[in-house]
Formats: sequence, C-alpha cells, structure tokens
Amino acid sequence: MTRLAAILKEKKTSYTAVATRARLQPRTVRQLATGETSIDNVAVGTVRRIAEALSVPTAALLEPELPLPGDPAASREVRLSAAIREVMWSGQPVAYASPVEATEADDIAGVEPQEFFADMPAIDVRRG
Amino acid sequence: MSVAAEDVYRRVDAADDLSSGDIAFLSLARSRLGGEAPPGEAYDPTGRIPAYPRPALLPLPHGREIAIDTMFALVVTHSCEIDRQKNLGASSDHFDCRLTVAPIVAEPAVRLVGPAADDLAVNWAAIEANQPVASLFLPPIEDVSVLAPGVDPLPWPRSFADLRGLTTVSRGMVAADRLFSLTPAYLGTLQRQLARFFTWRDIARHELVESLVGRIIVDAIPLNRRGDRLRIALTADDGSSVTVELKTK
Repeated sequence: MTRLAAILKEKKTSYTAVATRARLQPRTVRQLATGETSIDNVAVGTVRRIAEALSVPTAALLEPELPLPGDPAASREVRLSAAIREVMWSGQPVAYASPVEATEADDIAGVEPQEFFADMPAIDVRRG
Repeated sequence: MSVAAEDVYRRVDAADDLSSGDIAFLSLARSRLGGEAPPGEAYDPTGRIPAYPRPALLPLPHGREIAIDTMFALVVTHSCEIDRQKNLGASSDHFDCRLTVAPIVAEPAVRLVGPAADDLAVNWAAIEANQPVASLFLPPIEDVSVLAPGVDPLPWPRSFADLRGLTTVSRGMVAADRLFSLTPAYLGTLQRQLARFFTWRDIARHELVESLVGRIIVDAIPLNRRGDRLRIALTADDGSSVTVELKTK
C-alpha cells in the first residue's frame, strides 16, 4: 500500500474529493495511490497540491527509499538490513489470499519427511 | 506445533555454495497480460499484490507486461540440481543460471483472507503446522545478526514461503544478497511441502482411476497397513486393478 493510499484510507476520503481540491484529474490521484504511477515520476507541483489538499507535509507522501538488490552504493549488509526493516516490517497489513484451504489438516500434512519419502530411492546425482 | 528458529535457519558465508533453502533479497518477475486482475480483494485494480512491496511494471509489446516485486525469497531448487552441472565437470560459464524461488510473505504485511475475503482464525496456526500444501512456515527470529553477521540486530517476523508465487532468478542474484539458509533437517520439510504442492496431497494415478470408470469391482484385497492408512487392491471385471489407500480412523 502506498503512503498516499494509507493517508486516503486514514482520512476516509476519495480520489475524486482530493483531486477536486488539488485541481487534478481523479485518475491521476488513483494511479498515484495504487502505485500504478510512482510518485517519484510526477511533477513536484502535483505532489505538493495533493499534500495541501490532504493537509499533510509533502514528505508524508513520498515512499521510503527501498534499497534494491545488488545496489553498489550500499554494502550487502546495509542492503539486507534496510530490506528487513522496509520489506518484512512494512506498515499497514493488507488483504492477502491465504494458503489455508481447510480448517482441518489433510491425511499427510503431518507426516514426517523421513516417512513421507521412505520408499523413494535417491536419484543418481550424476544423471545427465 | 511450531518449530523453533534454531531448528529452521542456519548461517551461510558469502563463499558457501548456493543451496536449496537459501533466503535472499531479490527482484521477482511476474509476466502477464497488461492490467490482468486475478479475482478477489487481495489484488488491487491492476492485478498487483499489495502485500508485495512497491511493485514495478515494465510494459511489453502486444499488451503484455512484467510486474516486479522486490522482496525476500526462498530458493526451492534442489541442491543436487544446483550442483549437478558442476559435478558433471561443466564450466561455470555454462551452468544453467536459473534457480526457482518462492516469495516470502511476512505477517506484518498481510491480513490473510479466504476466497470470500473472510478472515480465517486458523490461518497462522495452520501455516505454522505446515498444513497448507502451498506454504512453508518460517518462524520468527529475535536477532538476525546472529545468523547474518554484519546485518543490523533486527527481529525477523513470522512468515511463510508462498509456493503459489514460484519464479526463477539467476544464481548471481541469490549469491549477491543472500541472508541465511535453512537447516538440512528443515529442508526435508521443504521437500515434503514441494511434493505435496506439485502432486496435490497425493500422487494421483488418474489414468488408472479413469480406466476403472464403468467397470464392476469384483475383488478387494487388503494389503499392508501403515499408521492409520490401509492399502487395498481393487480388481475390475476386465482384470485391471488399482491400489487405493484409505484412512481408517
């Protein structure tokens, strides 16, 4: 969820209402809120007008800098530390399709791996 | 019953060979039709997965696109497969570079919902027990720096590897941003989950079952019993047979 979407949700306001106050197209606000358009890729004036319409500082709309894998500007340790903070502990939880399908375990859910594969011969690692 | 972090994770050094169970920070690609929206409220209007942080979209010709999610993922390719070409004496320049990985979904990022967008109270308890076929539970860690020296002393939340999101990345990408790995013991659980996921709970012999449709079963012979499961050989009126396994309790 983008910061803009979180603020819209918190303030219980719509794309259209914000767009009207900011003198923008509702589609522009929607695309920024859904992340379809990155807020980093629009004019500063647009971000400022949305911030004013929401009565929040402009910085509140900017996404935190997510370190990217392999970024040579940061060491591996710095990249991984930042990624744990930003990715694993990201802000508001959002709906996600659960892998759970049933309230009760099926027959083999609890079978230990040794038993599960007990009758299976190992495959020769040298196979072509 | 949940497993303890010390039984699940192990430390890896940068020089260690890649292996099944490695956990790394990666960019994962999902290619699809432009704007394709899977059903359900777990997806935003353009079909992206909000729980996956800051996806990027790359347009492709003819109305296709690639969604890219930058997140932690678990290597599920079997270690023997990873090492196979090396063991055969192939030059590293000619290794198949692909590794199959599953995205890791963290508890703080999601509210797990069922098909009808309903919250299921059993979700995390079931995931912790590795009950679903599509997930591998990953327990929380108090301080990741114990397993990954140099990384800040941060906690790692309760999470799971989601086998529904398997994709491939290069070996080099895993090596560059690897955090830690799974213990050999827990790799057995990963392999069991993979077998369950790809065979959907049991090895299905569709052709044998289909061949019995419309036939009369003329004989049923009990075979061996293993735990609470009984195997029975069924013989049809045309002489064909199939072995089925039944739960007895």
